[in-house]
Amino acid sequence: MNRMMNNILCIKWGDKYDDSYVEKLKEQCEANCSVPFKFWCFTDKPEKDWHIPIPTTLDKFYDKDRGFFWAYRKCYMFRPDLINGDGKSFPDNSKFLFLDLDVIIHQDLKYFFDLPNDKPWIVRGWWNDIHTVKQNYAKHKSTPLNSSVIVWKKGQLMPVWNHVVDNAEVVFFTSPSLDNYLAHHWYDPWNEDDGFLQGFPQGDIYSWYKGNIFHDDMELKKLRTDHKICLFNNSTQTEGANDDEIKELW
Amino acid sequence: MVDVSPESLVATAMFFGYLPCGRLPAAKDWKQAFVDTERNFLHNSRSIAAATTVAQLESKLWVTEELQTLKIEPKVVGILAGWYSNFLTPLLLEKMNVNFIWNFEIDQDVKEISYKFNKRYKEQKKYECHITDIMFKEIWRKEEKHGAFDVLINTSCEHMFPMRRFRELNTRLGGNPIYVLQSTDEDKYDDHINCVDGPEELAQQAELTDIMYSGTKILDSGMKRFMVIGK
Repeated sequence: MNRMMNNILCIKWGDKYDDSYVEKLKEQCEANCSVPFKFWCFTDKPEKDWHIPIPTTLDKFYDKDRGFFWAYRKCYMFRPDLINGDGKSFPDNSKFLFLDLDVIIHQDLKYFFDLPNDKPWIVRGWWNDIHTVKQNYAKHKSTPLNSSVIVWKKGQLMPVWNHVVDNAEVVFFTSPSLDNYLAHHWYDPWNEDDGFLQGFPQGDIYSWYKGNIFHDDMELKKLRTDHKICLFNNSTQTEGANDDEIKELW
Repeated sequence: MVDVSPESLVATAMFFGYLPCGRLPAAKDWKQAFVDTERNFLHNSRSIAAATTVAQLESKLWVTEELQTLKIEPKVVGILAGWYSNFLTPLLLEKMNVNFIWNFEIDQDVKEISYKFNKRYKEQKKYECHITDIMFKEIWRKEEKHGAFDVLINTSCEHMFPMRRFRELNTRLGGNPIYVLQSTDEDKYDDHINCVDGPEELAQQAELTDIMYSGTKILDSGMKRFMVIGK
């Protein structure tokens, strides 16, 4: 039997989040995952054996003043030749669950490792009005995807990695965010079942600051513990402004 | 009742004044387009209004007027990111006797709506909208269907990566097309990701070496626009 090797990944760079976020995420995963897994953190300050140094090959394309495509470091995880903290390649039967640092896990993460592997999974922000998504598509606004949680098996996101590398200059110039890039090139809001990426179903993941499902359940700042994960990222908020709220709920 | 802004009404009236022939059938298509939009694409109403202004008409008339002054008579035209192409397609077909127009767009709803405004041209097989991102995928293969592009028009250069990228992707274009490019220095809009200082920079971005026209125009909206025509 070719059992999948489960890996939970997170990424931390710069000073937006302190180490307590990584430790807390690891703690949450250990308390909420009933299947074996390894926890890894991509970081610019590797110190522990479960830390993986973040590569820098895409840094030259990032223009800090423009601020576009700022979360590009997540793309390194999509490489098929990803090296783990032991300095070895991940086995071919590896499955990955990526989590942003600012999430609250409500339920067993086994659910994500049990999902079918036909396509990679990503957060479909069901709190977005699909009409607004389509209306603003060409303006690169109102992105329906959120890369705070992604599930894939080894090699499955290689086309995304290759596309970013092959078109880096245009991607970094054009895409205001990684989520927007993924929504434009790997998802189709007009045919949501046909994209390269598929969205987690309604009822799995919601947003603390944006709601759950448009327009039936849009109450903000409400815990929904029957869901799997709550996201705290908020593009309209200043950096660090949500620290106190998530820390109170940890 | 169909809700059309006064600005769009004025622009529409002016536009039909410019069409030399076929005004009535085209006007009926437009009427139906507004009705259908209200019914099926209500969320696009504001962008249709934004595409149907006096300034939009001025900028598209500028294209056809300068092409005519230069005595350029294209048969196959590619419009890059042409939006609804409600003004430019009829002007090119009716005023300049173009045979076929491609509109390369990324928005599926825009494609459907553009077919409503240009219904008769679609039915006459003179107009087709193709969904693609011109900065990532080449378009030269489309030449197999209706012939080589004589002119490629992009009146939205401020919304995208410099045009040199498009040219790199399409080195296999067969007809050595003339480029008609417009942009602006108006940077107050989030989606104006590539403003330029003037027509010289616009030409430079596209690596045009044979400049046939270069100019600046202040539109009815107050926006300064630049246009270059060349190879």
